[in-house]
Amino acid sequence: MDTKTLVKHKWFWAWNDDREEAWLSQMAQEGWHLQSLGLPGEYTFVAGEPRQDVYRLDYIIDRKEYQNYLQLFQDAGWEHIGQMGGWQYFKTRMQGSRVPEIYTDNASKQQKYARLMLLLFIFLPIFIFLATRQVPAGSNIYDLYSIVKLFFSLILILFAYAIVRIGLRILRLRKK
Amino acid sequence: MAKEKDLDKYLPLTEATSYILLALTEPLHGYGVMQKIEHMSEGTVNVGPGTLYGAFSSLEKDALIVKVSEEDRRKSYTLTTKGRQILQEHMRRLEILVRNARILKGG
Repeated sequence: MDTKTLVKHKWFWAWNDDREEAWLSQMAQEGWHLQSLGLPGEYTFVAGEPRQDVYRLDYIIDRKEYQNYLQLFQDAGWEHIGQMGGWQYFKTRMQGSRVPEIYTDNASKQQKYARLMLLLFIFLPIFIFLATRQVPAGSNIYDLYSIVKLFFSLILILFAYAIVRIGLRILRLRKK
Repeated sequence: MAKEKDLDKYLPLTEATSYILLALTEPLHGYGVMQKIEHMSEGTVNVGPGTLYGAFSSLEKDALIVKVSEEDRRKSYTLTTKGRQILQEHMRRLEILVRNARILKGG
């Protein structure tokens, strides 16, 4: 029998990672289980029995101890499906009525978003530089460069928006 | 004994951190710590792998715990003298709290 697979393309915003988790759980309930992650935004599902699985996404920057990190999750009953741009995709089975969590307190959950924030702040100056650099008017590359500049300006706006959204997420967790 | 002011920086410990330090009075690796906490706390405290991984790095950075060995990608940690002192001071304060709270029960 052929195993049926399904490839989906989808983006998610970093501050909505819980919606991504819910989507993957929903897919599993419909009998589509995340098998692997390919190019950014590419998900491959394999057909199977509908199951109540819990999906969780973690975000890490430091890869020095990546193997130790994965081992700990595996020991704790979380299967590592793959990664996409620093996002780590884990799944586990529902156990009774308690929903298993990889982060069991607010402080550590905040740190996950703080790591995302750190990454944005590292790249921010680069895009500010690219978006505001002046090229003398009348030079040959001027027209081309204004398009490039517009592109970087849009990315910069997106960055600023992401920082605000992730910041709000951290604040919400802090208030809980 | 470290100055009380130095200990104050880490106190009070959260319930999860208290249990992580308590579990590490003997050398244990991550999953061992999770199981021991589940058992010790009679199921009242549950520490997920993301939380534990983060706690290990910050406790190691603050020198409250130290790595004693590594086997099959599993690191074992145990308390340092500083970690033990902080845990003891935390317990001393908790005992005072519990002693005071007993008044409620008796009254």
